[in-house]
Amino acid sequence: MSTPSLNTEEETESLDSEISTIRAELQTLHHRRRILTNSLLTSRPLQRLAKSQSQSQSQSQSPSQTTATAPRSSQKWTDLSPLLHTSALHADLNHYRIAFSTTAFPFTDPSPSPVPSEANKSLIGLRIDICARDGSYVKPYYILLRKGRRGGEDGVLYVHRHTVPPVVDVGALERVYLPRAGGDAARGEEGEGGEQLKPWKRSPTKKQNLKGFLREVRRQLVVWHVRCDGVRYLRERLGIVRRGEGQDADADEENGVWERDVLAEEPNQESKIARNDLGIVALGATALEAVYVRVEWVDGRVGRFKISNAGLVERAVVMGDTGRDKLMEAVMTGGNGRLETLLDRWRKHASELRGSAAAAAAAAPVSVGDGIGIYCSVTNQANKCP
Amino acid sequence: MARSKAIRAPTTASLSSNLRIPSSTPSLVKTFGKLTRQALLDLVFQWLEDGNVQHFPPYLQANEGSKRGEEGDGDGLRPYPAERTINGVRNAYQELQFRKGGKREVIDRILEGDWRHGITLRQLAMVDLRYMDDHPSSLRWTALELARIDNSSSNESFACIPRVHASTFLSSLQQQISPLVKAHYHLARSTSLPLTVLRVFVTTSPYQNAPRQSAESLTDSSRTIYVAFPDSCPFFYTSMASPQTASKASSALPNSLVATDVRSLQRLVRDAIPKALSLPHQRYTVKPTSLIAKSLEALLALRGPGRSNHANGAFSIFADAALEGSPLDPRPSNTVSPEEHNRQSASEATLENRRASKRSLADSKEPGTSKKRTLALQSRFGTSGTLSSVPLDRLDVRLLDALPGDAKPTEHAQQPTVSLAFAGTDVIGGIRKLAELGVIDAERMPCWMTGEEGVSVLAVREGRGVSKAGR
Repeated sequence: MSTPSLNTEEETESLDSEISTIRAELQTLHHRRRILTNSLLTSRPLQRLAKSQSQSQSQSQSPSQTTATAPRSSQKWTDLSPLLHTSALHADLNHYRIAFSTTAFPFTDPSPSPVPSEANKSLIGLRIDICARDGSYVKPYYILLRKGRRGGEDGVLYVHRHTVPPVVDVGALERVYLPRAGGDAARGEEGEGGEQLKPWKRSPTKKQNLKGFLREVRRQLVVWHVRCDGVRYLRERLGIVRRGEGQDADADEENGVWERDVLAEEPNQESKIARNDLGIVALGATALEAVYVRVEWVDGRVGRFKISNAGLVERAVVMGDTGRDKLMEAVMTGGNGRLETLLDRWRKHASELRGSAAAAAAAAPVSVGDGIGIYCSVTNQANKCP
Repeated sequence: MARSKAIRAPTTASLSSNLRIPSSTPSLVKTFGKLTRQALLDLVFQWLEDGNVQHFPPYLQANEGSKRGEEGDGDGLRPYPAERTINGVRNAYQELQFRKGGKREVIDRILEGDWRHGITLRQLAMVDLRYMDDHPSSLRWTALELARIDNSSSNESFACIPRVHASTFLSSLQQQISPLVKAHYHLARSTSLPLTVLRVFVTTSPYQNAPRQSAESLTDSSRTIYVAFPDSCPFFYTSMASPQTASKASSALPNSLVATDVRSLQRLVRDAIPKALSLPHQRYTVKPTSLIAKSLEALLALRGPGRSNHANGAFSIFADAALEGSPLDPRPSNTVSPEEHNRQSASEATLENRRASKRSLADSKEPGTSKKRTLALQSRFGTSGTLSSVPLDRLDVRLLDALPGDAKPTEHAQQPTVSLAFAGTDVIGGIRKLAELGVIDAERMPCWMTGEEGVSVLAVREGRGVSKAGR
């Protein structure tokens, strides 16, 4: 009695899974077809042809139709033209988004206001597109500005809604670049009681600087993405082992601990750095903003370095059991200082150490290269300190 | 207890993690009973891991028997004879793992068998946090914002997110609290959400181990405060009463009263957090954010590290990036469904696919929704309730508008205020459902009904939320 029901259950399960895989395949094929049709529609020869056709059509329509084929072909083009038109518009928009990175669009606030006026409902939308390391674009960031009519002033802009993560403090930037005289108190976001009590302390009305505001927001977003990409790049070059993936993970259990990577796609996936020649067991950003990166070596040394907005290793501290490892710090901040070449500097340093050790073993009295290395690092340190 | 002979003196040290609560305490059974059998077994295996076992030593026959021979005699009468080695203990629980049965036998084995000498405060904290991981909506959380006190140095770009070093933070928190209350701290990482959870257990006695302080009071859940720190954002969540009610209670109490009730103990802890996070020249204060919710997911969406803090309701299309795809997408954006836009970036197809197809099936089944209404719904609610769900369990609204017939708005004393309170598992989702059914006119309802403000407590004037200051 129980076995047939089990069998049918198994059967239905296998059928279900089969159906779902077929559905998924269908979906991907549909997706591909749509991508291909749309790329075809936006392709330059077709667009040019359409343009020339519509021109020739308008020319050919003024005289009487002479050939029998003309109406049929024109019929075809009018059928196609709305599609062609929208895809051409979309392609234009995409070109703008790629080229200028920050684009504006109108948006109407759907919520009804008690005082019906079109000016109050329309918002200025701003879109920031940022290209990631692999050439794809991240989800666009949006800022929606509203034109305020508060305190008797017209045309004062303020941020109504935005999708910028708190890594970039839009509120603070707004206070700097889009100051509102009197509007602050009415909006009441940051209007403290002190400002009301001491009106003479209020700074004189500054002009709003929308361009500066946007430039700064975009700059900070781009810098944040560059830092994140840099840390991800370093981790990838060292090699990442994800928990639950691959059988050899259990083999080198002693090499490092499973850690959560803050910048990973799935935040709860635990991973660790694969065994490498540099003896690094952990490398990862300390927080989502990816300003500080923590490094851990197999011999127990722990380091932390700061990534500057320009993508340089700005400061580095390495602590070992016997105190600070200044030489390693100098290696990290030295050279061209780029985050991307950090591993190469470490490798070079390791090979130098090995070379000097070999030289010492060969009973050379003083290793020249080593001395120069230390000297260089000291000068670097001196340069960086102020 | 065995340590009653020791000299007791009031100290400012924190309660030790190794402080044991007698296993015979009845409330322990209740605390452990909240967890499922598998969760209990997972915890036990965690305690018995090589790195942890010295913190949670089980009762073993070999070492205990040599010290106290007279207790070894009683072992035969116990239902669970003590194991000789830690591996023996592990094997016993492995056996329980493979066998099916109730959780009661696991609890009995823990309390009467392997940890018969007492459950430490740390073990108790782990049990509580495991329960919270399994039931993320078991507590009511208040979201608070950390803000810099001095605005002068706002030119530093990433100033508003304090960096937390766990042990430094805990020691400075302990410095803040210890003159006032004695507490036990447990800091752990949530397994399911990007949160770090601090569990603070407060007692009023300054003694490390007061005999009068009964074992029951050490398991009193009302003395436990949870503080959750989401990653990389200037917010934190506390499991305490909302700041408004707390401040009311504190103002009602005269200052001379000794603060021993649970609420003022909680207030002490909450006030200590920004001070503990502060650094020299970088002081923080706490601002209320008028958001109280049970679901931690909702808090993370509305006051978290992501994109959706300031874009909800109609604007959730921007937060989910459902409006348009990447600039490399050749498809015109009005021909692509929001789910597809979202999925393409999430890059995991199958699960989302199935959910999406189910949803579209469910949508098409409903005959009552006209196309116009669907459009209005989409424009008002955006993707909230479909793509991203932010389940608010309560929404309190105070309407400050004068009644339409009221001709004299100057008489403030006469002006009635209407307060509305919505409660349920998902208030905004419910309103969306009502609008779908046509009970609510989606086009004319005010924006706070769509969850656009992202708060759970707000005052409304002219259809728009105004700040709590009453202006």
